Amino acid sequence: MALHTLELTLEPATAAGPVKAPTHIGVTGSSDLEVLIQPEDLSGKVSVKLVTPVTGFDALWERVLRKFIDETSLSDTRIEINDNNATPAVVLLRLHQAYTAANAA
Amino acid sequence: MTNWQNLQPRSFLEASARDRAIGLVDEGSFTELAGPFDRVTSPHLELLGDAVAFDDGIVTGIGRIGKTPVFVISQEGKFIGGSVGEIGGAKMVNTIKTAIDFHDDLVAKYPDLTDEEKPVVVISFETGGVRLHEANAGLLAHAEVMDQLQKARGKVPVIAVIGSKVGGFGGMGFVAAATDAIIMSEFGRLGLTGPEVIEQEMGKEEFDASDRALVYRTTGGRHKYIMGDANFLVQDTVEAFRKQVAELAPLPVADFEAMRRIGSPEKVENQLRLVALAAEMQPKDAVDVWAKAGNENAAGLLDVPFAEFMSTVKRLSV
Repeated sequence: MALHTLELTLEPATAAGPVKAPTHIGVTGSSDLEVLIQPEDLSGKVSVKLVTPVTGFDALWERVLRKFIDETSLSDTRIEINDNNATPAVVLLRLHQAYTAANAA
Repeated sequence: MTNWQNLQPRSFLEASARDRAIGLVDEGSFTELAGPFDRVTSPHLELLGDAVAFDDGIVTGIGRIGKTPVFVISQEGKFIGGSVGEIGGAKMVNTIKTAIDFHDDLVAKYPDLTDEEKPVVVISFETGGVRLHEANAGLLAHAEVMDQLQKARGKVPVIAVIGSKVGGFGGMGFVAAATDAIIMSEFGRLGLTGPEVIEQEMGKEEFDASDRALVYRTTGGRHKYIMGDANFLVQDTVEAFRKQVAELAPLPVADFEAMRRIGSPEKVENQLRLVALAAEMQPKDAVDVWAKAGNENAAGLLDVPFAEFMSTVKRLSV
């Protein structure tokens, strides 16, 4: 019944450094999610905290997040997500949107 | 952060709560308070296993229009219909309270402050009212917002802007009605019981909530403007809303008293005359009342372009 929290620590194959500025993107609407992304010294790693009503998809979440980290080579960054039943494609889109906005700021 | 210049010509209807908050005040002047990075999420939703939001669906902060400090509250309809729970309610209450305290401090410190240098509150409504998941806390929050509106009265003008998808309904419909001035676009909707709820309770014969034309001519901006429930009707752009707020912001607080729809014996008399008119007319449709207000081609008012509507419409006075 209670919300499901998933915490992951991921490490990019090659570290390209953190995002520039703390950024918030999105609204926890139906089939959507919001992302907080901010630079933080995590010894080259990326820390992800995800809160979602959905259970049973932890492995899929990890694959999507790993794909995002591989595509961006992000390191030393904290990511927090509030999800409301978003599909993997939407999750990846929002992560990239947050990444772009955080580096444009 | 969204580019302020790009935001101005954009549709207010489609703008997110945060974009509205940023775009309603001067460029670069908005500072969010209790924002997403403070991570104040609803404890009730968490217990129920429902998705939470870092800002609980309400953006609060302070900006500036010209010389006027503007305290902004902006509701996000995409998060549980913009419903107001304990956290979002507390953010609303404390924003208004902060505006009042700020006003009092400012006036005590600088007694010869001009009207345009005194703060105002702007609330961008997009809500169906109480968040039923946290009903008691949500109701209490509504009462506390009302309380702050009364405390703000005669000191800090409270301006409602309504032009977002969900409209302003339920308990927040009452709150909107209790503000000093209401600015709407023709896509804004304002009411107490929302269309879907009327249909659910009274049946489709009474009110067909899927009939969008009916919904808009009963709760929409054009109707509310004719009825006097809305003080101002503007185009559906962020800029149009900001400019109307900017026109009101420097006015002396006494000027807002005249814009109120409720809140004095005279205004109650006026409302009672409206009730008497409704009882006498037994209108079958909003258009009947528009005709009564002196609009010859009342039904045509639904479809005429905005500029023509504004130049030809006659507003009801009783």
